[in-house]
Amino acid sequence: MFLFAIGVGLCLLSALICVVNTRRDNSITRKAALWLTIAACLIFVSEGARTALNNQPLQYSFSQIAPQLQFSFSIDRLAAFFILVISIVALSVAIYSLRYIEASTSGIRRNLFVPLMNVFILSMLCFVASANSFAQLLFWELISLSSFILVMYHYEKEETRKAGIFYFIMTQMSTIFLMLGFILLYNATGSFTIASSPVLTAGTNTLVFIFLFCGFGIKAGIIPFHKWLPYAHSSSPSNISALMSGVMIKVAIYGLVRYVLFVLDPQLWWGILILIAGTISALLGVIYALKEHDIKRLLAYHSIENIGIILIGLGLYIIFDSYGLSDLAFLSLAASLFHTLNHAIFKSLLFLTAGSVVEETGTRDIEKMGGLVKTMPITASLFLIGALSISALPPFNGFVSELMIFQAFFQAFAIPSHYVIVLLVVCLSLFALTSALAAACFVKAFGVIFLAMPRSDTVQQAHEVPKSMLIGPALLAFLCVGLGIFSFQIFSWLGYQPPMPNLLWVSLSLFIFLGLTVILVRAASGHVTRRAETWACGMPTPDSHSEYTAAGFSEPILTFFKPIYKTDKVIERNFWDKYGAVFKSGRADIHVMKIFEEKLYIPVANAIRSISRKVSAAQNVDLDTFILYSFITVIILIIVAGWVL
Amino acid sequence: MASFAVYFVLNTVFVLAVSPLFMGLIKIVKAQMQGRRGPPLLQIYFNLLKLFKKERVVSLNSSFITLISPYINIIFILAASLCVPLVFIPAANYGFGNVILFLYLMVMAKFFMALGGLDAGSSFGGMGSSREMTISAIFEPVVIIVVSALVFVLNTFNIHQMFATTLGSSVLTNATLFLTAAALFIILITETSRVPVDNPETHLELTMVHEAMILESSGPNLALMELSHAIKSTLLMALLINILVPWGLAASVTPLNLLIGMLTFLLKGSILAIFMAVFESVMAKSRLFGLRTFFILAFALAFVTIVFELLV
Repeated sequence: MFLFAIGVGLCLLSALICVVNTRRDNSITRKAALWLTIAACLIFVSEGARTALNNQPLQYSFSQIAPQLQFSFSIDRLAAFFILVISIVALSVAIYSLRYIEASTSGIRRNLFVPLMNVFILSMLCFVASANSFAQLLFWELISLSSFILVMYHYEKEETRKAGIFYFIMTQMSTIFLMLGFILLYNATGSFTIASSPVLTAGTNTLVFIFLFCGFGIKAGIIPFHKWLPYAHSSSPSNISALMSGVMIKVAIYGLVRYVLFVLDPQLWWGILILIAGTISALLGVIYALKEHDIKRLLAYHSIENIGIILIGLGLYIIFDSYGLSDLAFLSLAASLFHTLNHAIFKSLLFLTAGSVVEETGTRDIEKMGGLVKTMPITASLFLIGALSISALPPFNGFVSELMIFQAFFQAFAIPSHYVIVLLVVCLSLFALTSALAAACFVKAFGVIFLAMPRSDTVQQAHEVPKSMLIGPALLAFLCVGLGIFSFQIFSWLGYQPPMPNLLWVSLSLFIFLGLTVILVRAASGHVTRRAETWACGMPTPDSHSEYTAAGFSEPILTFFKPIYKTDKVIERNFWDKYGAVFKSGRADIHVMKIFEEKLYIPVANAIRSISRKVSAAQNVDLDTFILYSFITVIILIIVAGWVL
Repeated sequence: MASFAVYFVLNTVFVLAVSPLFMGLIKIVKAQMQGRRGPPLLQIYFNLLKLFKKERVVSLNSSFITLISPYINIIFILAASLCVPLVFIPAANYGFGNVILFLYLMVMAKFFMALGGLDAGSSFGGMGSSREMTISAIFEPVVIIVVSALVFVLNTFNIHQMFATTLGSSVLTNATLFLTAAALFIILITETSRVPVDNPETHLELTMVHEAMILESSGPNLALMELSHAIKSTLLMALLINILVPWGLAASVTPLNLLIGMLTFLLKGSILAIFMAVFESVMAKSRLFGLRTFFILAFALAFVTIVFELLV
């Protein structure tokens, strides 16, 4: 615990250095502050890993504020694991930020960036470590606030302001749900401490679950609460997108796992609900990602997909657990948590490298990119590793967690209920579809961004980014490969023997085959390589206009899934009378509907607005009426008090 | 360990040796059906040798992806080949044979083939990649359901153990395997880019998928691509053969058993190849968006298998 405190101290010190020097635009203080953050992250990584391995919970109580309110921390294996996840990503983001934040125009904003990021990281760590729900709620608000300010970093843009407000409202809704859940728990147990499985009535149990599921679900971006994700991720700076997408939504997963597994008494239908929500999020997430041509939005939709996959694992855990199949339940939970770690790693890798690309090209539209593999070869290779991991290809880490989920699904036949088996088989096929669509989406993303010819002039002037912006992502890429190849060894080391193939042998055989192929081809072939123009059926030299575009690439898939996108057609017509005057006109419009926004968010917002309009009509009157209101209130209070007491 | 080492060498060499043969056989039968004589049986081997000796011509636009993608293809397909025993089942499998691993090793090869298609900047390659990834995405649920039916019926997710099970018991006791086999045949047709999904003969932009992706490959690169395609085809054939008619597959390593294993596999593979050629000759290429029906058929077959097994 002592080392954790030092880490927190270093983070705060680093924030302080920058806050004191806000007015002076000095890159050295910022660098020094970031190095302190990096040191703090290193401490967190090593301490998190040590606690997770030792499996000895750490506890620490801190300042009793009021009889029931105190800050107490407890770090068990689950919390330590999430601390590890957060600090690994934070470490590489901090390294990446050494140069990345210097690109911003205003000195003050550059100075404020470091303290805000530190507060953001610290509040996430403290949320995970908190041992009582009151402190958790406070840190939850701190996460929301600091991330909101960071999303608004480029507040001069209209798009950013809209995204920021949208995000802020959604995150406040999540807090309200959490607050309701925590208050119910407090009422039932009489304490804010997160106790393991307290005695709850069935009604409270269910109600608390629903509130917490909604609260954490909004923050995690489960469909239909997902709409803030693509907006907030695309308009915030890339290192913040990496933190938000890689880690912040995982904090919500931590909350869900903590309460559902340790505090509440999970029921079968919760598992089914979580499984269905996860499957829908995974599938719709990737389907929406396919039509997206804004690189950061595309990645944001993939976050929704992967949160779905994590939830599928969690749902399977509850289902298997309620049937007493503890081996399968454990496999699903391990898969879910391992995917949490993996997604944090490869998604931040993708966001950071995408950030480098956006920084160099000045656009987020992948239709304007192309050919970047020649100007940014290292960034391209790092992005490729991330793409392979997220597409669940062996021997990378994303494959391992999806393999574990597949294996858990395959053993669904051990469940006695036929209905549940059929449900699981359907979810299995949709899960497979998700994973294949993700591969298609990343062939598109990598191919269109990095391969073939540049599609605009600015892209041609791109350069490779500075070293620190390569080292940060490279660290994550290294983990993607390592966690994949040595997955079996890592699980054995933690004392769990998962029923899965040892990828070390697979990698070894791949290596042998590679060596043999290279030797044989070199021996047999003529070693001559000639470069020539791409064949264009005898037409003049093909230029970038003849390349396949991102829209063209995903067109067949979009056609297959047309019913899901719901294109909205509006037709316009003008009618003239005999004098040529228009007496009737209308407009034609074909656009892809934002279903959730148009059918869910806006109606709800309108309903709230109309209610508040009625309430405000009652408020906007003179003093006499207000005195009348107070008078009526006092009388009601007296009656109610007399009746109750 | 020794058994696996023998398996490693023997299975790899055997699959490399016989894969082009089946391709050649299919070509001959198709030619005969069309009233042509067709190329000699061993022509494909000579073609591959010729391609290895020729120069590589790569596009000016292309990057390291074009250079590595043939190698990635062949090594991942060869690693996948370790998952499917053709001649004998080794005592230990070291995790090879996991059915998901088998499928995803092949997806990895496909991923790089699709990137290679985009690399040259030609619209043919892009079109091929786009269609290939679409087909593979739409088809994936079908593959998984078929696999999960197999897992359910044979009660293991290791292909080596599946073969051991089918070898030990008569197919007649597992009637549902016939349904799954029909679905497996559809997987075989789809994954190896054959009619009605794709047309391996054509170079017409309206119909080609797999050929479009490797249109820019040449010399040794093309040879590696063709070879990995042939191996992939043999692997899926072997999966179908050894689940439905595993007889001849050696359970223990003796020279005689191995010889019998090889000969019976050659025989069964040739019969299946002829059947595939006939099937291809009598079918018409389907529209890309018309493939749904074909896929739903396989999905239904596998789903019915699962329901049958649940009810029994």
